[in-house]
Amino acid sequence: MAKLPVSEEKLIEQFGPHLNYPPREGYAGRDEPDREVKTHCCFCGMQCGMKLLVKDNRVVGFEPWMEFPYNQGRLCPKGVERYLQNNHPDRLMHPLQREEGVGFKQVSWDASMEKTVSEIKRIQEKYGNDAFAMLSGVSLSNEKSYLIGKFARVALKTANLDYNGRLCMVSAGAGNKKAFGLDRISNTFEDLERAEVILISGANVSETFPTLTHWIWRARDYGAKLIVVDPRMIPLARTADLHLPIRPGTDSALYGAMLKYLADHDMLDHDFIDNHTSGFQETLDAVKDYTLEWAEEVTGIEKAKIELASQWWGKASTSFLLHARGIEHHSKGVDNVVGCINLVLATGRIGKPYCGYGTITGQGNGQGGREHGHKCDQLPGNRDITNPEHRKYISGVWGIDEKDMPGKGLTAWELIEAIHRGEVKGLISICFNPLVSLPNNNYVREAFEKLEFYACIDFFMCETAHHADIVFPGSLHEEEEGTVTSAEGRVIRIRKAVDCPGEARPDTSIILELARRLGQGDKFNYETSEDIFNELRVASKGGTADYFGITYKKIDDNMGIFWPCPTLDHPGTKRLWEDKKYCTPDGKAHFNAAPYREPGEVTDKEYPVVMTTGRVVSQYLSGTQTRRIGKLVDSFPEPKIEIHPQLAQQFGIRQDEMVRVSTRRGSADFPANIVETIRTDTIFLPYHWPGKKSANQFTPGTLDPVSKIPEFKVCACKLEALGVFATPSIAPKNVARN
Amino acid sequence: MPVTNYKTNQEFFVDMQRCIGCKACEMACAECETNGHESMIHVNYIDRAVTIQTTVQVCMHCDDPACANVCPADAISKDEFGVVHTANTARCIGCSNCVMACPFGVPKKNEAYDLMMKCNMCYDRTSAGKKPMCATVCPTQALYYGTREEMAMMRPNSSPVNNFIFGNEKVSTKVNIMMPKGATELRVD
Amino acid sequence: MVFSLNKKALTNAIVVSLITIALVFYGSRKLQNFDPALIAYLFGTVFAFFGVVYRYSVWLQRPPTRMYFRRSLELIYNRKFFSHLVFFIKDFILNIGFQKFIYPRGRSRWIGHFLMAFGCTLAFAITFPLTFGWIHFTMNPATSIDPESIRLYEAHFFGFKIFEFELGSFIAFTVFHALNWSSWMVIIGVLIFMRRRLTQPGLIATQSFEGDLLPLVLLLAISITGLGLTYSYEFMKGFAYDFMAVTHAITVIMFLIWIPFGKFFHIIQRPAQLGAHIYKREGIKRGMAVCPHTGKEFATQMHIDDLKVVTKELGFDFTLEDGTSHLDLSPEGKRSRLAMAHLKARLENGGKLFG
Repeated sequence: MAKLPVSEEKLIEQFGPHLNYPPREGYAGRDEPDREVKTHCCFCGMQCGMKLLVKDNRVVGFEPWMEFPYNQGRLCPKGVERYLQNNHPDRLMHPLQREEGVGFKQVSWDASMEKTVSEIKRIQEKYGNDAFAMLSGVSLSNEKSYLIGKFARVALKTANLDYNGRLCMVSAGAGNKKAFGLDRISNTFEDLERAEVILISGANVSETFPTLTHWIWRARDYGAKLIVVDPRMIPLARTADLHLPIRPGTDSALYGAMLKYLADHDMLDHDFIDNHTSGFQETLDAVKDYTLEWAEEVTGIEKAKIELASQWWGKASTSFLLHARGIEHHSKGVDNVVGCINLVLATGRIGKPYCGYGTITGQGNGQGGREHGHKCDQLPGNRDITNPEHRKYISGVWGIDEKDMPGKGLTAWELIEAIHRGEVKGLISICFNPLVSLPNNNYVREAFEKLEFYACIDFFMCETAHHADIVFPGSLHEEEEGTVTSAEGRVIRIRKAVDCPGEARPDTSIILELARRLGQGDKFNYETSEDIFNELRVASKGGTADYFGITYKKIDDNMGIFWPCPTLDHPGTKRLWEDKKYCTPDGKAHFNAAPYREPGEVTDKEYPVVMTTGRVVSQYLSGTQTRRIGKLVDSFPEPKIEIHPQLAQQFGIRQDEMVRVSTRRGSADFPANIVETIRTDTIFLPYHWPGKKSANQFTPGTLDPVSKIPEFKVCACKLEALGVFATPSIAPKNVARN
Repeated sequence: MPVTNYKTNQEFFVDMQRCIGCKACEMACAECETNGHESMIHVNYIDRAVTIQTTVQVCMHCDDPACANVCPADAISKDEFGVVHTANTARCIGCSNCVMACPFGVPKKNEAYDLMMKCNMCYDRTSAGKKPMCATVCPTQALYYGTREEMAMMRPNSSPVNNFIFGNEKVSTKVNIMMPKGATELRVD
Repeated sequence: MVFSLNKKALTNAIVVSLITIALVFYGSRKLQNFDPALIAYLFGTVFAFFGVVYRYSVWLQRPPTRMYFRRSLELIYNRKFFSHLVFFIKDFILNIGFQKFIYPRGRSRWIGHFLMAFGCTLAFAITFPLTFGWIHFTMNPATSIDPESIRLYEAHFFGFKIFEFELGSFIAFTVFHALNWSSWMVIIGVLIFMRRRLTQPGLIATQSFEGDLLPLVLLLAISITGLGLTYSYEFMKGFAYDFMAVTHAITVIMFLIWIPFGKFFHIIQRPAQLGAHIYKREGIKRGMAVCPHTGKEFATQMHIDDLKVVTKELGFDFTLEDGTSHLDLSPEGKRSRLAMAHLKARLENGGKLFG
């Protein structure tokens, strides 16, 4: 029943995205707010501190929070405009029920809950418990992430719970666990400051984590050399000491060749390798044929540049390696990650001041959210749902029989396939917009159309919610207390600034109410978010992501605590591995062989051009929030393909001409932006938009065998100039001015 | 002007090579109370077809402002701190002389208002002892507001320069641009 | 700055003042229609005229203003004069009459300004001729003799009868209370503006007392005492009438004398906006300037050429080595060229962009 009840256009007319602009002279009361609430940005993993100005239960503006140590008042455009998601005309205020031919009608909380619970029961009785699945997201707080993990296993009793972290940093998580047995960045970003060489791979830092640029520039002020690996000349790469414009999908070849170069030229830390690591020889054997010439051939980077990068990396005494989705969104995401880690381990530069390594977590709570169990194979404290001891411990915390604890479920993409196969019939989702964010989204849409029942919890009507039978109006970031864990591993407090408007309710209360109606109310007794956190602390105790020693008060007093923090008197851990005791079974850091493989889809005669995807600075993920904020949309109104003049000439494409991009999964038209700042064989398309403007209608989504992350960054396509020109972006029609 | 807490030891420093074009400054500028959600700062690509380079430009607050000189309506004034204020709304006749004469390309004409508006260094904030919005949020500190000593400590290999040569004209400003150490002027031609 | 008398301006001001006095003399039929009680107002007004003309003349001599003035004069002898005249009239009604350009800046702001502007203009239109003795009212002699007849009032301008109306009629009520209506409008307008100025942080930070608040206070004082005069004799049997009369006179005269120096000079300056519009209109017809950096049109070529002259007169020389001017660049072009020069300077220093 999850086909659209009315046309997409009608739904957009009613629910947006509409653009919110502040009134010309600002919201009333901005100059004399009732209170300034110290909290964090709701967007990326940097979790910049900021103060929200509140007047009469409305967020009326922001003020920089100068004291918060990571960003000291600095913000990116999304952070500045973030307060405008409040007071938004598109905000969902009432529970909604799908009505064929009409759209959605308002219903009572009682009716919407009753309908949802009866459908859950019906589907589970008819098809089995696992036929009802849940999808979650890591923009949610630690408390909610934990709660959802427990809700799905204890109240829904389904194994099929997964989250949008699956599209985010699972490759990094898997790679880190293989190498270190623990999944967190090894240092705070302050350690960047005195690193001699900084290698940034597949991370468009200046657009996706703008405030991190400060720490990189600080390092450069101290003389650090910056190496940027990216198919495009991103803003960070323009002034870099070395830019390696890599062919998408060939990252592991680069790291393999660099490792071989380090070994051949004896730029290794033998003492560290011999005493604190394992697997070096096998790893080196796997890349023994990776000469610079070979690497140039595969990656498209001049060998002199690879050599220079290897030399700089090899000779440095301090260094920091950072990567993000650019190397992780691949069918060999984990290989790419361990390839990076191998370079770090080979030179022994980890666990020391100014020697660091890590992934730059993308989502707001990408770090905390991937530790506490709303992932199909995971239990709180980054425990393993297939490990009997872990199951037993968490069952104890939750007060259930270990036998009732579901096993490992399907990953996000596999769930979509399972819906297609008819194995999953019902779904509830929160904080996830798969119709925009999953690859091959026409296939995803067909899956949603096959569901017998779909309930969505969200604060705006995201594109996926259009397919829902029931939409629950949930809460915004600033409407609930909680904690998140930043990309640095710093656990920080999110503070409630205002109450939910209208009939909207805090996400937590919606989940608790559903649990109660599913007959499990006795296991979900929490008065406050802090109660949930205190249970999380116990649940994480003894796990690798140990939060036991962290309390709300301790966070407040210290502006954040870095996990692991096993005891109440423990100060938290800013820098990992200073003791060189790794969390692997043998206590050593592991090298992992990462031989080069081709990406899931390669170019051929029919589809000769590589397409890669990414983000723009003014938009965030699937755009549910940022496509509704006027000024953010104005600065990047619609996706354009970035294409090199040589490639453009080859296809006869002129500036701003509409170009038909075709892949094996469909085709759509985009205006061309002809720029010399991209590889000559690659086009780039940002992914924040739905439908015909979406980049993910093209992406193939080949899964990484280990992390099950779908491949977003490599796709084969062909281009056709259409001879018509894009009308210059006029002011969007759907403007709602307060 | 009313009594202020304007800190005369704090200065504005710009280094556009640190700019990543994110436009945080542009968004934040609109939050400044003096310009009614209009942004007064400029971020633009130099030449997008060939480079990703962007530049960021605040009002340089010239010692002898060309904008004020060419204003036929005496609408632009400089205060005792050297801040060149935006056009007096009552006087400005919207002729755009200032827009076209400013050697830094700073003043903006708002066609609907028939009024020139420009950066006044976040006067509502600086006069209260705070830093301007743009320099507070700038994630790369391409825009920095603070003391000369702080700057010298942070970027010892650069010198603040406030003399600019445009052909035959030398323009001195209150705002500094960070240049290689020892430089005393920036020649634009 | 040493104050030195500007001879040209002084001459203009004296001539205008003398003409005004002459017009008062003859307009009031050799002072027979002049009300001696208004003598102080008359002096205030003549001084205001003197000051305004003096300042206006000084103003017109400044290079940028002179350039605009010269261009405006040229247009009068232009073939397209009538096309510009039609535009001028339309523009005058919209921008001076209705202050159209203020509306986008804020609705309440426009309402407040329009009320003040309309109130003041109406008051000027009545009080100046009254003060000068150009207008006076008499009872129709025929009706005043016959106590039974409907009494008719006659309005005279420059001594000539213009029209007559019945005492107690709607017209009479409107005419005799016109100043009251203008007072009310000004009061409402002033209150709207005072509220803005006292509550908006941006304005609070940048306004000055004498430049922005005092004018509002003065307008309020004039309007309240003016209203007070009417209400004093109509409802309060002349209570505090003298006080009101003196205060009103003082505030009005202060206002008049202050016109050339303070905020109120913008009333005199504002029509120059129409000149700027026509200048742009004519400039577009003659051709646009194209920025050598962006390759896009950005201003009229006439404007850029004139500015080169004006800046030179003001002591700025933006001529570049190759003979072109920095002013040939659009604002975006200038910013880009500055950034390019900066990058070049940074790179020449061994490529060090940081530190």
